[in-house]
Amino acid sequence: MTQSTQAGLLEPAPGSDGTPRPTARTVGGGRRVLRALAPLPWITPATALILFVVIWPVVSMFLTSRQHFDSMGFDQGSAGWGNFTKLFDEPDLPGVLVRTVIWVVAVVGLTILISLGVAQMFNKQFPGRKVARWALIAPWAASVVMTSIVFKWMLNPSNGTILVLMHDLGFMKNYNSVNWLSQQTPAFIWEIVVAIFVSVPFTTYALLAGLQGVPEDVYEACRLDGAGSVRTYWSITLPLLRPALLVAALINIMNVFNSFPIIYEMTGGGPGNQTSTTTLFMYNTQQTSIGEAAAMSVVNFGFIIVVVLFFLRASRWNTAED
Amino acid sequence: MKRRVLALTAIGVAGVMSLTACGSSSSSSSGSSGGNVTIKLLAADYGTAGTSNSTQAYWQGLAATFHKTHPNITVQVQTIAWTNWAQVATMIQDKQYPDILEGDAPQQFAADGLLYKLTDIMSASTVSNLIPVFAKQEDGTDGVAYGAPFTTSARGLFYNKKLFAAAKIANPPQTWADIQNDAAKIKALGGGDIGYGLPLGPEEAQGESYLWMLGNGGGYVDSTGKYAINQAANVQTFQFLNTLVKSGATEPGPASTNRQQMWDAFAAGQVGMVGGSGALIPDIVKNGKLTTSDYGVVPMPGKNAPLTQTLGVHDDVVGFKQGGHADQIKQFLDFVYSDQNQIAFDQEYDLLPATTSASAALSAKDPVAAGFLKNVPNSVVYPSNTNWNTVLAKLKQTLGTAASDNASSVLNSLQTFATSNQ
Repeated sequence: MTQSTQAGLLEPAPGSDGTPRPTARTVGGGRRVLRALAPLPWITPATALILFVVIWPVVSMFLTSRQHFDSMGFDQGSAGWGNFTKLFDEPDLPGVLVRTVIWVVAVVGLTILISLGVAQMFNKQFPGRKVARWALIAPWAASVVMTSIVFKWMLNPSNGTILVLMHDLGFMKNYNSVNWLSQQTPAFIWEIVVAIFVSVPFTTYALLAGLQGVPEDVYEACRLDGAGSVRTYWSITLPLLRPALLVAALINIMNVFNSFPIIYEMTGGGPGNQTSTTTLFMYNTQQTSIGEAAAMSVVNFGFIIVVVLFFLRASRWNTAED
Repeated sequence: MKRRVLALTAIGVAGVMSLTACGSSSSSSSGSSGGNVTIKLLAADYGTAGTSNSTQAYWQGLAATFHKTHPNITVQVQTIAWTNWAQVATMIQDKQYPDILEGDAPQQFAADGLLYKLTDIMSASTVSNLIPVFAKQEDGTDGVAYGAPFTTSARGLFYNKKLFAAAKIANPPQTWADIQNDAAKIKALGGGDIGYGLPLGPEEAQGESYLWMLGNGGGYVDSTGKYAINQAANVQTFQFLNTLVKSGATEPGPASTNRQQMWDAFAAGQVGMVGGSGALIPDIVKNGKLTTSDYGVVPMPGKNAPLTQTLGVHDDVVGFKQGGHADQIKQFLDFVYSDQNQIAFDQEYDLLPATTSASAALSAKDPVAAGFLKNVPNSVVYPSNTNWNTVLAKLKQTLGTAASDNASSVLNSLQTFATSNQ
């Protein structure tokens, strides 16, 4: 590697001056450069793909956030940092940020808690385990949009099944007297419930895989040392599950943070922006100002980068300790 | 085998070449009357795509008839569902310009310099036949019209006579207080029915709100055309709506309830009163729960008396410059705006004509339409400020939340938005 770099420094690149010199040394140097370039055909497609699919949209997003677009999407020139100023002046923004944090923490936290339990159960032998494992795939396999719409219908104030049930059980006197999806707190809670519902299957399977990877002899040794079940779980299962937990948490955080369809389908972030997270807020802002929405995207992007860096650090610390 | 593929490719290439040749020749010969010209029409679908009531069928019928008398002009029709309307902006941004666009064509198109002046694409006799209150809305900031109204609709209050009879209400409401009392009586029936359907959700918060604002002498702009969203009359209006909602006279959560939901519920016989246009009638017919004698239409009640003006809305026709087919567009539009074609469209979709002569003709033969048409000439309309489209998007999202305890702060922030995003 260093050799070929030196050769490149000492000698002009082959063909750069148009007159190939026939000395043995130059030919050797050229070969070395060629050899260094040899992997290019293999890495070029992947690099090009990343440039095209990842880097270019990111660059384009940054550029958009500094442009002024009219309501029909025509570029009216540079906006400087105007879109960012406008974004940070939005009266709805603080609430949106707080809600985003609640959304991510509540959904990911509860999902992992529930999944730990379900995974533990699925790791035990019981009649019908196969059926139960298959059944858990359903919320995962179903389209998130579909699940959200089904929940929305179940909560319909005049004929949703949940409301019908409440009415028939006598908890509610009349139909059309409550519309949870139009009230900030109940609507947001229901959205969190749906988000947990669709996140649990994946998380459970990730943790189940982790549990199955814990060798049986460790448990045996533990039993011989006389540890109780709580102690075993705390000192053996959880630490050995850590890689699976970290992966599950990281993927969930990014998924949940970026989650759009659940809130969009159930409330559209409304009324107003009262149930919007940053992703929804970005979408709703786009209808009035594309540049400002791009500025929101940049902020979101920054947040995701921070989360990923944090987790990369956490996982390295994890491998170092092992 | 290989040779056949080659032959096919050759045909394909020749085809593409002939197509492009055709395209370029038509655009270059647009100024002259000779040569065959294809003009592209992009229109909204008011019916259901793929069925006989699709608007595609209406336009294709017109295009075929037109082609018979103008054999050198072919009209190519494409329709887009209203729910996908945002696609039009995308097409324009991608420079896929139609020659004629029918539907919602914001002033911004004119401001971006994409449109013909109306006088370039419509003969003077057709222009003068347009209903003035709507035609005036097409004026750009320079006072020149860049489009024409194509179809219109006016609002009234639909009420369910069955529910009114059950609640022993003798007359349809005339004032806000009537609405409040009648709605309370319908709710008290205990069947879970909605007294007054108040759709303030994102679909059309601006329409329902406007009807209420008008009842108190308010509106979106003041008499000089400047935004006055937070004027005292509007704040008062939303405070009244707040008490109405709190009393349970409306559906729960109006800020999240869309117009179509309330119309569907009215058609299903579960709503006492709802604001609607002629477009609600097909819903009622389709649902089959209410017969024509089970519901009535009256002017929208105001604070102290029914509105003497109604909210009139219209959809536009505009011509795009890029194709260079002004002459052909003009010939086609003059044909489209004939009384016969206007009325055929409006009867299909229970809408109202955009021309004076077609309105008169329709009033003579359709009593329901006549009831709506009576108020059309003095309709109030939405503002036509250049940034209205941007403000509208914000209003749809936010205005419904004004029917709450913080009416004035919501309206204040909307006013700030409207004036600072000029």
